[in-house]
Amino acid sequence: MTPLALLLTLSSVLFTLGLFAVLTRRNAILILVGIELMLNSANINFIAFWRYGPPDPELTGPMFVLFSIAIAAAEAAVGLAIILMVFRHTRSTDLNKLDSLHG
Amino acid sequence: MIPLLILTPLILLAALGAVWKARPVHAALLLALTLAMTAVLYLSIGADFIGLVQFMVYVGAVAVLIVFSLLITRPGDEAEELVRRPKSLATGLVCTLPVLGVLVFQVSRLANPAALVVEPRAVSVEKLGITLFTTHAPAVITVAVLLTAVMIGAALFARDPGKKPHTPSDS
Repeated sequence: MTPLALLLTLSSVLFTLGLFAVLTRRNAILILVGIELMLNSANINFIAFWRYGPPDPELTGPMFVLFSIAIAAAEAAVGLAIILMVFRHTRSTDLNKLDSLHG
Repeated sequence: MIPLLILTPLILLAALGAVWKARPVHAALLLALTLAMTAVLYLSIGADFIGLVQFMVYVGAVAVLIVFSLLITRPGDEAEELVRRPKSLATGLVCTLPVLGVLVFQVSRLANPAALVVEPRAVSVEKLGITLFTTHAPAVITVAVLLTAVMIGAALFARDPGKKPHTPSDS
């Protein structure tokens, strides 16, 4: 297996694990953990293609990863602030209990 | 190649723990471990600066933020265990296994690996900085605006609405 294929497989499995966490977890913070895993797997892809792909003098891969990390940090901050606000109202972070809008 | 072969299973094991562990604090700490080992992976393949940024932002900020949120919300251990919820487990597996299958199938079809360059390639911080602030300057400014908005938004969301602002006349 080439290094590129190895890194791409790693990123695929990490993405699937993140998706699994998002679908099965009930605690909102742990769903955020799954989202972070998925974002991280995308970063691994960018770095893998930059490192083992054709030469790239513009450094597009690392640039994308830098911006992606900044946006992931922003997403985590807003997500956790929203979860804290929800917790203050309902005293719970269990998403199954947040059904007051179900009609 | 050898660091990759060592790090890949470790990263996968830590990520599996982050997804599977019933106790939220364990899951969050294993996420921090996954992110830290990914940073080491970046360092080992020549993306030094990205590895350090990953370490500082993901491990130092995001993972710690998640652990602190868990401490504030005290989620307890209520029935998070997947084994006790077979319906959830089955739904998760049915939805994710096809995705994994398609992804791994596409990776296995990767065209002609011999054509790909594998000689050591390092990113110099000087070149990265020049590219960042010339070619990608608009994106840097956009991210700066985004982060400012996020900081204000998160502070607004997280503040306690029941508490009156403190004024000098109160004292």
